[in-house]
Amino acid sequence: MHISLQHVGHDYGPSDESAPVHVLDDVSLEIQSGDFAVLMGASGSGKSTLLNLIGAVDRPTRGRVFLGDAETSAFDESRLTALRRTSIGFIFQFFNLIPTLTVFENVAFPLSLARRPKREIAERVGEVLGRVGLTHRATHYPNELSGGEMQRVAIGRAVIHRPPLILADEPTGNLDSKNGALILDLIREVHQSLKPTIVMATHSERAAAMGDYVVQVTDGRVSR
Amino acid sequence: MIARALILRPLLREKTRTALTILGIAVGVAVVVAIQLANQSALRAFRESVDAIAGRANYQIVGEAGPLDERVLLGLRPLWNEGVRFAPVIDVEGMLEPSQQPVRILAVDLLSDLHFRDYRYARIDTGSKHESLGDYFALFQSDSVILPAPFAREHGLGVGLGRGSRLNVSVLGRRASLVVRGILEAEGPATAFNGNILVCDIATAQRHFGLLGKLSRIDLLVPEEREQRVLSRIVLPPGARIERPSRRNERVEKMLRAFRVNLFALAGVALLVGMFLVYNTVLISILRRRRDVGVLKTVGTAPRQIFGAFLAEGLVFGLAGSVLGIALGYGLASAILRVVGRTINTLYVTSQPEAIMLTPGTIATGVAVGTILSLLSALQPALEASRVRPTAMIRPGLQQRVGHPRRLAALAAGCFIAAAFISRLPPVSGIAVAGYVAVLCVVAGFSLLAPAIVRTTSRLASPLLDRTFGIVGRLAAASLPASLRRTSVASAALSLATGMMVAVALMVGSFRETVRIWVDQTVSSDLWLRPAKGLANAQVALFPPVVGDELRKVEFIEAIDRVRGRDIIYGDTIVSVGSGELEVAARYGNLPMIAPRSSAEALRNALRRNGVVVSESFALKFGKEVGDAITIPGHATAFPITGIYRDYSNDRGVVVMDRALFMRTFDDHNINTIVVYLKRGVPMEYARRELERRFGPRFGAFVVTNGEIKREVMKIFDQTFLITYALLGVAIVVAVLGIINTLAALILERTRELALLRVGGLSTGELRTMIVLESTLLGMASTVAGLVMGYVLSWILIYVINKQSFGWTINFHTPTALIAASLAVTLLASALAGLVPARMAQRIDIASAMKTE
Repeated sequence: MHISLQHVGHDYGPSDESAPVHVLDDVSLEIQSGDFAVLMGASGSGKSTLLNLIGAVDRPTRGRVFLGDAETSAFDESRLTALRRTSIGFIFQFFNLIPTLTVFENVAFPLSLARRPKREIAERVGEVLGRVGLTHRATHYPNELSGGEMQRVAIGRAVIHRPPLILADEPTGNLDSKNGALILDLIREVHQSLKPTIVMATHSERAAAMGDYVVQVTDGRVSR
Repeated sequence: MIARALILRPLLREKTRTALTILGIAVGVAVVVAIQLANQSALRAFRESVDAIAGRANYQIVGEAGPLDERVLLGLRPLWNEGVRFAPVIDVEGMLEPSQQPVRILAVDLLSDLHFRDYRYARIDTGSKHESLGDYFALFQSDSVILPAPFAREHGLGVGLGRGSRLNVSVLGRRASLVVRGILEAEGPATAFNGNILVCDIATAQRHFGLLGKLSRIDLLVPEEREQRVLSRIVLPPGARIERPSRRNERVEKMLRAFRVNLFALAGVALLVGMFLVYNTVLISILRRRRDVGVLKTVGTAPRQIFGAFLAEGLVFGLAGSVLGIALGYGLASAILRVVGRTINTLYVTSQPEAIMLTPGTIATGVAVGTILSLLSALQPALEASRVRPTAMIRPGLQQRVGHPRRLAALAAGCFIAAAFISRLPPVSGIAVAGYVAVLCVVAGFSLLAPAIVRTTSRLASPLLDRTFGIVGRLAAASLPASLRRTSVASAALSLATGMMVAVALMVGSFRETVRIWVDQTVSSDLWLRPAKGLANAQVALFPPVVGDELRKVEFIEAIDRVRGRDIIYGDTIVSVGSGELEVAARYGNLPMIAPRSSAEALRNALRRNGVVVSESFALKFGKEVGDAITIPGHATAFPITGIYRDYSNDRGVVVMDRALFMRTFDDHNINTIVVYLKRGVPMEYARRELERRFGPRFGAFVVTNGEIKREVMKIFDQTFLITYALLGVAIVVAVLGIINTLAALILERTRELALLRVGGLSTGELRTMIVLESTLLGMASTVAGLVMGYVLSWILIYVINKQSFGWTINFHTPTALIAASLAVTLLASALAGLVPARMAQRIDIASAMKTE
């Protein structure tokens, strides 16, 4: 999925009392379909905000965001929801699994939302759990898993519906080096096999090396 | 500072939840305050009237079973020199004609009465233009009556130069036309009974109302220092007693005690539900701020400071809720007063309710009730927060902890067994204390089972929700057990409210059905002849004895049964003595009996042996059985009890005897009502028209059919229990507030999780469905538990509390439609309660929510 940001700016906290904080300022960025782009920058530089704007979680204060041919910055809430449901997979630093659902159900979540037939869900979840090595954990709940396992479930959930765009926000930030490496291998494998566009925000040089190129984010501006 | 960090600022930030909790307590307090105010106001009028009429009297000589002989006064004469003052009084109820408005008649010796009561005359009709001392003699004329000024204004009556207005009154079955010759300022006795009082000379009343030689009582003013000596010298005739005027109030209050305790118990339900709300709110506060508590503890905050902070939160809720509750209660009281006043009037004593007065006592009660209960509710969670180690507070998952299912089940079983034992204990001074304790045990038992009920309901509903709503349904089913500690408290509160609703619906439904069958069986005559239109005036309006003789001459009448009743002082309470023609009742009527089975046998035995049949409540209250005997004050002979019958007309206790025996015993020949049995084949409408034509103008008679009487009884019944339903409705409202509150708290706690679901593609509509499903599930769990609890509680209400408080046997009956409707309303309300938190969830800013952690 081709991503295009045109003169995007984003502010937080424009309340009547305080002056707004400019998080992103006049960002223009093109990411081609199938690219594995890495966003790097210090904490607070605007990486996560950029990911949120690309992922249709937030709307820019200024400028336009395109995913493919669609201008998502002009979408209403229901179209944004539909877009996230069908076309985007998210991987977070803190895994963000749904605590009340089992591993199987967490992975199946996007397909369940799309009301896919049970048989298809079972087949695809089985396949994905096999690929992330968690078949034996299918009936477990998130609080019964280790950090690495939780992130593998999150990756399974992000790819189960084969979205053309995967966004990863510090996917190894909360893991030890061994588990971190394992997760990066998994993301690379997903990229190679399914060819989605991947945008990954990270601090880690080692993680950055996995991508096709690095987009540097500094004080709300980007450079390649 | 700790309180500010942990309590005040979060409370201000979470305005909706804070407001909901305060509102919950406020509604509970409001109900208690309103009931107290309405009760006070309904009875204050009675109490103040008694005081106003009693004036300065410190003792009274009263007849226990009827009027006093005025010769008692002769015996008091020697005491005059001892400083004792006495005044004869006739104090009876009557009706204005033709409006049939109830009015009190106070007849006194206008001269000697000045020692006791102050009368300030606004105007006196002298018959001449010149005022002199002699003017007062006009008031002693045999047809003079004196009215309070507001009463005169209201009825357009006045005095004037020998042409004072005429006033028709009916007292003790006699009509008199009196002339208004004096107007009193509205003070002292003129304010009694809301000013609906007529004052006249005692001779006037004796002459016009058939009371020659009789008095209602004698008021006494006994010098305090000589009290003992003087009182011991007074010789009273049989059936008379000397007592303080306040004893009358005490007797009435005792008579009303069970009724009032029951009202308070119902108000208590709303308050108990409010307690669950505070408990849940404080618990949620702790859970939501567990990290902050953990951090504060880590940096050295003492456990007692944490404890104090959360207790202060309970206190804030309690105080704010109480203040708001008192204001709400004040408003609510006016609405309730009408209903309470009507019930007291219909079933107990005539009393016009006065305006609601918020006294310091009521305010103190409201604040104490709201604050103390809120503090008690906050105690356990505050204690827990202060005791848990800091690491445990920081670690997520504390909220999952509820007691071990087996331990909770064992405790619940213990509560149920205790309830079963306690419910068998006898009442304490006429109050079913054991019954109320048993109810609390059952409620505690079901509350302990609440976690298991929520968990089981969610598990059972999960497949169905999954099939119907897909992942949204599964998420909803999974979320309730995930926050079991909070959801189970909300569920327990709603179960309690629903349970009480079902229990009371079952009790009232059973009672109604029992009364319906009883009325059908008891009211077997064709027509009733009454001197007043409504049942409310039944005791005041009377026929003269001659009406019976006239009726016997009517060609289409098969038989008549002349009924007369009066209240007497029995022990330290008041009971009713009724009379009728027992032979007629035995032949044509069908009194529902407890013992012996045949009413004819019991009534004929009573007739033969000069005995009585007594009501079930009388038998229970005074421990009497068939074969025992009762004595009536002033009468040496004992009356054997030949039967016990069912009677739901009052809970004081009724003694029924034959008319001839009644007339001999009380020297009272009047008639309240005449029960008419028509000859076979006589059309009822024809008979009614004819009787009204012949007896209407002469005796002011109204003819009522059998069907009308039955409808009237059922109407009074429904009015009496109206307030019961209203109070339980309030409890349901509080419980639904609890659901909103709990779910709103869960939304705040699950903000990140909900944002995540939204990021994953859950639409706002699906989010709303999910939360409404959660509240529906919670409602369902509570409704099912409430239904079961309701049946258990209804058993205690019907067979323990009702039996001990009122002495009535009620047959169990399920009012299916009523229960189904109330459950449906509760379920719908709890489902709709989900819309408020759903709206909160829909407004979550996904990007901000994902940013935090």
